[in-house]
Amino acid sequence: MNGVARPANAAELAELLRSKSGPVRLRGNGSRADRVPPAATGTIAIELRNLATIDRLDAADFTCSVDAGLDRSTLDDELAARGVELPCAGAGTLGGLFASDPIGATMFGGASPRSLLLGLEGVLADGTRFRSGARVVKSVAGFDVHRLLVGSHGTLFAATRLHLRLRARPRAAAWFRNDALDEAGARTLFVALRGLAVPPAALHWRRDARGHTVAGCIAGRANHVAATMRAHHLREGAPFVDLHLQRTPGGEVLGGIVLPSRVPALLAAAPPDAPFLVHGGGRFEIGLSSPAESDAFVAAAPRVPCEACILLGEPARRRRGTPIDPGQSRIAAELKRALDPDGILV
Amino acid sequence: MAMLARRMRPLERSLVRLLGRERVLHSPDALLAWECDGFTVHRRRPRAVVLPESTDEVQAVVRALHDASVPFVPRGAGTCLSGGPTANADAVVVDLARMRKVLQISTEDLFAVVQPGVVNLDLTAAVHHLGLHYAPDPSSQSVCTIGGNFAENSGGPHCFKYGMTVDHVLGALVVLPDGSLARLGDAAGARAPHGLDLTGLFCGSEGTFAIATEITVRLCRDQEAVRTLLASFPTMAAACRTVSDVVAAGLLPAALEILDQATIRAVEASVYRAGYPADAAAVLLVELDGPTEVVAEEAAEVMAVFARHGALHREEASSPADRKRLWKGRKGAFGAMGRLNTDLYVLDGVVPRTRLEEALERIAAIGRKHGVVLTNVFHAGDGNLHPNISFDGRDADQTARTIAAGREILQLCVDLGGSVTGEHGIGSEKLEHVAMMYGPADLDVMARVRRAWNPRDLCNPGKVLPQRSSCAEVAKWPQMVARVLDEEHG
Repeated sequence: MNGVARPANAAELAELLRSKSGPVRLRGNGSRADRVPPAATGTIAIELRNLATIDRLDAADFTCSVDAGLDRSTLDDELAARGVELPCAGAGTLGGLFASDPIGATMFGGASPRSLLLGLEGVLADGTRFRSGARVVKSVAGFDVHRLLVGSHGTLFAATRLHLRLRARPRAAAWFRNDALDEAGARTLFVALRGLAVPPAALHWRRDARGHTVAGCIAGRANHVAATMRAHHLREGAPFVDLHLQRTPGGEVLGGIVLPSRVPALLAAAPPDAPFLVHGGGRFEIGLSSPAESDAFVAAAPRVPCEACILLGEPARRRRGTPIDPGQSRIAAELKRALDPDGILV
Repeated sequence: MAMLARRMRPLERSLVRLLGRERVLHSPDALLAWECDGFTVHRRRPRAVVLPESTDEVQAVVRALHDASVPFVPRGAGTCLSGGPTANADAVVVDLARMRKVLQISTEDLFAVVQPGVVNLDLTAAVHHLGLHYAPDPSSQSVCTIGGNFAENSGGPHCFKYGMTVDHVLGALVVLPDGSLARLGDAAGARAPHGLDLTGLFCGSEGTFAIATEITVRLCRDQEAVRTLLASFPTMAAACRTVSDVVAAGLLPAALEILDQATIRAVEASVYRAGYPADAAAVLLVELDGPTEVVAEEAAEVMAVFARHGALHREEASSPADRKRLWKGRKGAFGAMGRLNTDLYVLDGVVPRTRLEEALERIAAIGRKHGVVLTNVFHAGDGNLHPNISFDGRDADQTARTIAAGREILQLCVDLGGSVTGEHGIGSEKLEHVAMMYGPADLDVMARVRRAWNPRDLCNPGKVLPQRSSCAEVAKWPQMVARVLDEEHG
């Protein structure tokens, strides 16, 4: 990386981008730098961590507007004090969290960066400042350009301010962790909880050396929480915080999306001891011990079926994965050309 | 015109070759039913209407139109309220109403794949026996289609708890404006880790990006219990404060709907009569769903909030039939407005929920200022207002005052931090109003995004984003209405 710039505000960022002709990598505080492909020589990093104010927090309306460089934990503290929360998992700066969307929803149909982003203020690679979406919980005015932030890793535009949806903190919550399950037992419990009319607030299924674990959080009114815990024989446990797999030396971590009914096929396509984690929203991670194992898994993925790519591995291999539909790829490429025609944001 | 006519004949012939004579309509009389949607101010007969029945047929039709450089407009049931599926000059309507198959239902993975012409309520009917339903429920759900809902990102009373269409669409197969295909999202999730959220971007693009021919939607489990409560209030302010307190208490009702006095009276005088207290200034309808014990506790809490705010009358539906009765008035409210005048302009602004009371007072003042008959029925939980102006479209002065009042109301919504549309879309109706929310740079970015999908602007041109000509067109609404009336009444 050929230097790091840290603009103090959106106007400075716009000016910075206007004055740059070479490649630029946008990032929050750089906490996910190990998950993106390497930057070309001469690339300048622009960190947005100095854009860190809460512009507006309207707890009664369940909305807030925050700078993209604001740290998640700072916002969480403010929200907790007002009895509300941002109901998605993930840490780091809010801009980084929404641009990378590393976990999706922790529950089927649950909140995720995709559903919580109401609008944004942003800057194009040429320094043009723009807005998309709204600050209210419902708006269908114009095209939802802000939705392109999610998963873009900052390669289409820079988000400088996010308008977010919040929700009331639940009156009661209980974390559960049922471990030492076999695969069939884990699958049965996972599918049953995922299919509840009032699903858990979070749900995860993990396989590691100790066996299978189904963990998560039941939230709502106290009687509902207690009844659900009882009905499904859920055992209270510590909050589930290991939302990602760690890479082993020489190994890789792949991430993707899969239907619950296809998890057995997915596990069958991987080595029997490969660590595995799937969230209730459908995202999974699998740890493989070598690039060759990853390549074999990616080759087998269409038969599962699932979509997957390398999240953690040697820089040049990151984000390689199953082919994306050609029509979808074409539109993605056209969008890149439309918003960043000179390919500045990398 | 002569040149157009020369170009049209071969195109018609090629469309007939693709679909057969019965599924290509082009005589002026046959096109009458497609001259507008629910926004009747904007009327224009399309050049032709085609009725494909499969993705292959849509592809073939779009390729033919693309090759002939003829614009086209995808259309579902035509219940849109902003002119979105109304054809601009020379456009062919691609009517998807015959594509109404439910292609796949997964009870384990909780999704369905449907063709775009499937009627919203029919999907729920198709999965009802499995204890499932499709959550988005626009008021027109008994006729509107999933394809139209996807194009408009439709809402409905229950989206306060369950979210809008975008929260329920997982993926889609779309025919791009050059006739090629793109698959967006997947039943497993709307976005792969190495992809963009194109499904989310597409939802609400009002048919200006491409034509969806298969849509994968999330299905929800039916709740164990549903309880519907109603309260009437002496003032609209009391009803709004009740909503704020219900939400502030941490309750998440499935729906929070308010009708004002004029609406109540129109409903009670109509076939949609629901037994609402006609002397009340406002009626608040609250629906709770979830586990039986939870809903019982919540119902007691809501009733207490009603009492605290001086509700004149409180009741709870005692049976499914009774629940249907309470909803009948709300769902039929727009139809009941037909009693007030010949035409109805349904507005669709959003304000922060905490500013509902202020917004409604100022909307009433705008109505008085312009001397228009204004009624309100709205999704209070979302702050999504539907001020309705009843007017006689044959009267140019009334029409002009209606449009002026509507514009002022939407500007008020924006000034209060809201939006010019919560669920009806921009279409052709709000081409002028969209600039209240966005500046030239914002609109230019949106135009760039549209060009990425639709580079030749063949797919539903002249919608969503203002162009010089279309702005001028909107500014001439009164004249447009007058012209339509001239045509209709000779």
